Amino acid sequence: MSAVDALPAIASRNRFFDALAPGGRRALFVLGIIGVCLLFAFPVFWLVLTSLRPGYAVYYVHRGTDFTLDNFHEVLSQEIVLRALWNSLAISTLATVLSLGVTVTSGYMLSRFRGPIPNLWFSAIYVFRCVPYVSWVLPLYFVTRALGIFDTYWGLLLPHVAVHICFFSWIMKGFFDGIDPSMEYAAMIDGCSRWGAFLRVALPAAIPGLTALAILCWLYTWNEFLFALILTAQKTPILTVVMAQFVHELGMEWHLMSATAVLSLGPALIVTIFGQKYVIRGLKI
Amino acid sequence: MPQRSLPRIDEKKRFMLALIAPAVTVLIAFQILPILIGANASFRDWHLHDPKRTWIGFTNYAYVLRDNEFLTIVLPNTFGFMLASVGTSLILGLAIALLLNRKFAGRWLVQTIILLPLMVAPVIAAIMIRWMFNDQFGIVNVVLGVFGVPQIAWLTQKWTAFLAMLLTDVWLWTPWFALLLLAGLQSLPSEPFEAAQIDAASAWRTFRYITLPMLRPVIVVCVVIRAIDAFRTFDIVWTISGGGPARATEVFSIYAYVEAFQFLNFGRGSAAAVIGALIIVVFAMALYRLLNRWVEVSR
Amino acid sequence: MAEVTLSNVRKTYPGGVAAVKDFNLHIADHEFVVLVGPSGCGKSTTLRMVAGLEDISGGTIAIGNRIVNGLQPKDRDIAMVFQNYALYQHMSVYDNLAFGLRNRRAKEADIDVAVRGAAKILSIEPLLERRPRQLSGGQQQRVALGRCIVRNPKVFLFDEPLSNLDAQLRAQMRLELKELRQRVPTTSVFVTHDQVEAMTLGDRIVVMKDGLVQQVGSPLALFRHPINRFVASFIGSPAMNFLDMAVAAQADTFRLTAEGVAIELPQLRFPRLGAQVGRSVTLGLRPQHLRLGSAGNGAQVAFSGNLMVTEQLGDEQLLAVRIGSGDLRVSGVDPELALTTGTRIDLVVPIESLHIFEGSTGAAIR
Repeated sequence: MSAVDALPAIASRNRFFDALAPGGRRALFVLGIIGVCLLFAFPVFWLVLTSLRPGYAVYYVHRGTDFTLDNFHEVLSQEIVLRALWNSLAISTLATVLSLGVTVTSGYMLSRFRGPIPNLWFSAIYVFRCVPYVSWVLPLYFVTRALGIFDTYWGLLLPHVAVHICFFSWIMKGFFDGIDPSMEYAAMIDGCSRWGAFLRVALPAAIPGLTALAILCWLYTWNEFLFALILTAQKTPILTVVMAQFVHELGMEWHLMSATAVLSLGPALIVTIFGQKYVIRGLKI
Repeated sequence: MPQRSLPRIDEKKRFMLALIAPAVTVLIAFQILPILIGANASFRDWHLHDPKRTWIGFTNYAYVLRDNEFLTIVLPNTFGFMLASVGTSLILGLAIALLLNRKFAGRWLVQTIILLPLMVAPVIAAIMIRWMFNDQFGIVNVVLGVFGVPQIAWLTQKWTAFLAMLLTDVWLWTPWFALLLLAGLQSLPSEPFEAAQIDAASAWRTFRYITLPMLRPVIVVCVVIRAIDAFRTFDIVWTISGGGPARATEVFSIYAYVEAFQFLNFGRGSAAAVIGALIIVVFAMALYRLLNRWVEVSR
Repeated sequence: MAEVTLSNVRKTYPGGVAAVKDFNLHIADHEFVVLVGPSGCGKSTTLRMVAGLEDISGGTIAIGNRIVNGLQPKDRDIAMVFQNYALYQHMSVYDNLAFGLRNRRAKEADIDVAVRGAAKILSIEPLLERRPRQLSGGQQQRVALGRCIVRNPKVFLFDEPLSNLDAQLRAQMRLELKELRQRVPTTSVFVTHDQVEAMTLGDRIVVMKDGLVQQVGSPLALFRHPINRFVASFIGSPAMNFLDMAVAAQADTFRLTAEGVAIELPQLRFPRLGAQVGRSVTLGLRPQHLRLGSAGNGAQVAFSGNLMVTEQLGDEQLLAVRIGSGDLRVSGVDPELALTTGTRIDLVVPIESLHIFEGSTGAAIR
């Protein structure tokens, strides 16, 4: 090993990062952080700013100092926007409740039982989760028409629930796998029925995970576009579709456009801010 | 007593079936049935205004697969978009995850800002970008004007429109990558890094030989999921360019939609959808296998 | 020279937790020093401060006459073996060993010589092309050792390297470490919570508790002359027996009493007990020093009590004898002896083998 003894114990550095003094590295780091923050915050900031400028000031959003809430008044006075806002809120909430309700029992079943029926269901879920939903999105139009629910709440809710079934069942199974089944056995010995054990023991224990999933599901449905586009027409306006229509129709009225967009961002922002810690807790990130 | 055990087994089965009954019903009615209808439609001459539904075999498929528009524009657009978006988001997301992996003052605030795009609807993101790139009053052209660069008609030319769409997608999905990669980074054991410190590894060598190999499984999963999603992009393209100008920025999902709901040829739209579904499935499997082999080789 | 000197080293975490308080130690060149103590005593923290993986809150650390306080780990000329080996999973064994040298821009030819030399010493030559995942625990540990010796640093640091191995492997690796030491006698600092490892491996042992050094000395010195109750209880297996007793003076003897126990000690042999009259002290008796039998001469002290438990080990028996309110453990009893629980047992222990500790501080009086 004598050849190695000749090596200097402290190696020389010509690498860029290590050549920088600690101060230089820190400066680069801070610059990086600021740059990244700007990149992600700017479009939202710009949108909000535009929505607060009066119509004529759209031509110079970055200059000028007059702010107004008139855009919001005008947008909210349009019936279609109000209806779309209400519909979206209702659909998001209902879709979340329904999706969770339908899939929580499904996930519970997959977690707690073994045998041909659970295996079959598990395989079905796995297969249909992998089928890309492009192949069944378009025909939904026909299914909802045939069932007479096209352009109604049910016509949008049930397809949304369908999309979530495979994915959520799998996640719910994961939740219940993490909950000790001994408590349910104890409950059943104590006189509960299976359903009672599920309702009173397993379900409460799964609430953190369910809350996290509910928040994510709500946000997803609130922001969803394609289903809303295909499955609704005049009777059930949905906010995302209305906004896209505005873009193609309103042309220059960006102050109104941005006001509508900010309205759509609002509930999402509120749900995210309040729900963030539940999501982290529930999914144990 | 043998008599007693039988009802108990039935009871368990009934319970199991009851638990999944609603899910099964909805799944059949709103996923399986549409899949079957779509498959069926793809083999028929099915127009939305026409009650006739004659069987025409693979004619629709043949049309799509020979459609110049599809082959030379839509498919390259879709794959190009997918590659550019996933690649950019991955690299940017990795950089951000590395930045966020240290403790520093105000980290919570930075994290919240960076996660902002995750709650914004793709449609809204597209609207924001569309406004910023507006050729007369968008902030981008204004800033360019300050530097004396001539104004660009961003959304009416193919490549600049694509750039805007790419920017939107990257803006939307980089935080997703960053979040998952950060979780991956934080789950890595600290000792190999301490050993690397003692072994005089520079920041780059540590990243290349230790961090990256350990992160590969997470990266593979993220890339595959995101690639599949990027292939199906609809909202952004629809809002920013509508597939224009003259269908130049059309991607696969728009193509299927346009065939079905604008040309009202539901048969052809379904065939396009089925073709696309097959492409995604094959591509995803190939990608997954390729990336996994990359992970294995490094092991 | 590869001496290591720690002067007044302390480590306080933000939030006020003092993990290490005023650590002083001088390690001579080629010496193998073991830091031992219960979890949370500060031994790993001290080691990591020597390595440069933790900042030093106060005091200085010098390696080979050079103060290393501000230096990065890579500049301190040290090598470290971690508890879970910390091998680079995605590199072959060869690359694992070569990594440190490659980072320092050594020539590949030199690296090859060094790596193969180290591999030969540790008998891992056939494993050079394998990945760590394909190796057993013992083999991985050897590769970790190889990473140390390949660079020929001034100091080896070991952070509980044997804790992840099963008992049998641990005993074997202990032997291999000792053999390695004969070929590569580098100054070493070894951290463990296992006193058997400490006793068998160390030239000198540092017993730590709550961030403070309790005692430094050779294994035998610590066994024979523990300076406080903690060290006495920590070193030696089975652990020392302790009896809390009250001290009274009588003519030319001291009388120590506890519930159901009374012994007398000549004042001449225990002069410092005088200051403890009226107070309580702790009597320390090693199981290895207790014998069955009755007191013959004045050179022994006698106890008697009821036999509670016998444990048969094959080459010896362990007994637990109830004296007063506590049990005395006795080891080294003839395995052939048939003893019935519940019977009365007489024990003797030589007076020189008694340890006495102050009741309040635990400091050794004798």
